[in-house]
Amino acid sequence: MRVNKVTFWLVLAAVLLMTWTAFFGFLGIPGANKMRFGIDIRGGVDATFQPVNLDRMPTQDELESARSIIETRLDQKNILDREVTIDATNGDVIVRFPWKSDETDFNPQKAIAELGETAKLTFRDESGNILVEGKDVTKSVVEKNSQTSAYEVSLTFNDEGTTKFAEATKNNVGKKIGIYMDDTLIKAPVVEDAIYSGRASISNIGTYADANDLAQKIAAGALPFSLEARNYSTISPSLGAGALNVMVDAGMLAFAFICLLMLIYYRLPGVVACISLLLQVSGVLLALSIPQITLTLPGIAGVILSIGMGVDANVIISERISEEIKSGKTTTQAIMIGFKNAFSSVFDGNITVMIVAIILMILGSGSMLSFAYSLLAGVILNFLAGVTASHLMMRSLCQYKKLSRESFYQCLSRRIVL
Amino acid sequence: MKFFSFYKHRKLFFLISATLMLIGIISLFINGVQLDIQFKGGAILKYSYTGELHADAVSDFVSKKLNRLVNAQETKDLTTGEMRVSLDLAGEYGMTAAEQNDLNTSLATQFPDNNLTSVETSLVEPFFGKQFLERSIIAVILAMLLILVYEWITFRKIGGLSAGVTALAALFHDLLVVFFTCVIARIPIGDTFVAVALSIIGYSINDTIVIFDRIRENSRRLPKEPVEMVADLSIRQSMMRSINTNAAVTISVGLIYIFAARASLESIYSFALPMLVGSISGCYSTLCIAGPLWVMWQKHKAKAPKAPASKTVATAA
Repeated sequence: MRVNKVTFWLVLAAVLLMTWTAFFGFLGIPGANKMRFGIDIRGGVDATFQPVNLDRMPTQDELESARSIIETRLDQKNILDREVTIDATNGDVIVRFPWKSDETDFNPQKAIAELGETAKLTFRDESGNILVEGKDVTKSVVEKNSQTSAYEVSLTFNDEGTTKFAEATKNNVGKKIGIYMDDTLIKAPVVEDAIYSGRASISNIGTYADANDLAQKIAAGALPFSLEARNYSTISPSLGAGALNVMVDAGMLAFAFICLLMLIYYRLPGVVACISLLLQVSGVLLALSIPQITLTLPGIAGVILSIGMGVDANVIISERISEEIKSGKTTTQAIMIGFKNAFSSVFDGNITVMIVAIILMILGSGSMLSFAYSLLAGVILNFLAGVTASHLMMRSLCQYKKLSRESFYQCLSRRIVL
Repeated sequence: MKFFSFYKHRKLFFLISATLMLIGIISLFINGVQLDIQFKGGAILKYSYTGELHADAVSDFVSKKLNRLVNAQETKDLTTGEMRVSLDLAGEYGMTAAEQNDLNTSLATQFPDNNLTSVETSLVEPFFGKQFLERSIIAVILAMLLILVYEWITFRKIGGLSAGVTALAALFHDLLVVFFTCVIARIPIGDTFVAVALSIIGYSINDTIVIFDRIRENSRRLPKEPVEMVADLSIRQSMMRSINTNAAVTISVGLIYIFAARASLESIYSFALPMLVGSISGCYSTLCIAGPLWVMWQKHKAKAPKAPASKTVATAA
């Protein structure tokens, strides 16, 4: 890429525009002011669910499945930082989850009602008699029919369910069996044959998404009761009120201190480092605010780590340039060789951290996802900001006669040789 | 020698680290590990109140009274508008009726204007299910294995396996330091600890790799020099980088610590303190542990009877 004196100003303008967008939003792009924060930072809703119309205590197993159903539903809603736990002595499921950022549209009552929708699943004949219940279903998964290559939902019944289902299909050949979630009909497949094996499949469903949705609804309905929130209330941030302010204040002051350190120690490369750090910080903020990823304390830890690595990349580059100057190279040569030497360390360091982030992203859930996402975004930006943008700015600046003096590129570190 | 030899002083560094670990282990026996409610489960007590009340004040009081880990949050019922304070008490056991009564009475005396009334008590399971923990542990182990493989390949010129293993040794060193910091400072092990531990994994690895990168570069340029000389030179050359980067991290995390302590936000400074200690440890373990360990490995390999060097690397595992 050709670099001239103007390049620096172009990069600077781009960085400033991005910084403005990241903090205040621009052209509808949500900035940090519209960030979605987790329950630990902003607080949220606390609800206690209990079974409806159940004349006995729910068993531990039933509560565990209720918990996993609610967790799945929250995952589907992209609410990653929630606390779901069960109280076996009272037979409750306790759920805490954050507000959405657009608080005005957010109706906690509705969200809670949806979560508790773990409704009662029944198979009924055409006149509405209940034939089989959801608790008789042990497995409900999507399968691809090898002959028609259409998606099907495959059901497996327990012993009791097998008997009941055999009876039901025998009596209803050619008729529809309705699958009801509470009183809502979700699917009414036609019985083609009597089924005695305890394994059935529902065909003619449509796309994979439709089939998957049906399979999950049936699996979720395998609980013999539905849940209702006994009480729900707002809850203050688990980190304590004002946690966010403390982090933001400390962060801004820290940024100022780091810039000061870079300017004093590394001089001109320090100036470039400050601009590229600004790019990195705003890039990470945008990577979080645009897709509305929930920012939690682990997410902030990921941001701190990636910014630390951004500082590191700039420090390594500045040190290497200074070393080359001290070994007698001209400014232009020193910048070229310095970047080349620094790149392999920056590359190896960032790639390994990227491996960690990707693995956590694939295997993690909840708060680990939040950490992995912000770290991954930060590391990718590190290449863009710490390496590419710094390189462009430095090559552009050294074309100004007044700024190409070797002493501007020498840092306070001693040059060490054998 | 014009500069400080990290290799020659390795015994001192190992002694320092061993002492730190020993202090950690001793305090582990004295203090024990405080697992937070997310890991251990516990009891959730809810009290309704009137007037002005700081949740933190309640949690401090209850924590002292019961000698248990307490986290308090304010809640407001969405239908009735009733204000409550919700207390999370870590520990597998709940409270007997007598204990609850006693607590109710002392809360009423301590906060006479707030009319604190016990609304509900639940005994809950850990928030992190078994599945979450298993997957997290698998994720961390898998990540470490991949790091090892990556370093084995990129640093094959300088004995890739030794670079990978010593980098992981430095990583474990830093994780232990973070863990022991929490034990000594009686910081509960909960989701905050998970966040700190993950950051330190990333920080430590990134810090150590740069040293090996320099060793690789220098050993290509100075093939005749003994390994300890090359290692010491490389460590010394990238020392200012490690220190300056660490200074930046220390400033940031230190400021969070100071601000949090001033606002008496316990949750935040129990995040910042282990992070601060962990990042300093990350810098130290890179300079004083990983480099010298790598040299010892190389020297040991050179002394080993069988000849071809590249073969030895592969079998040294």
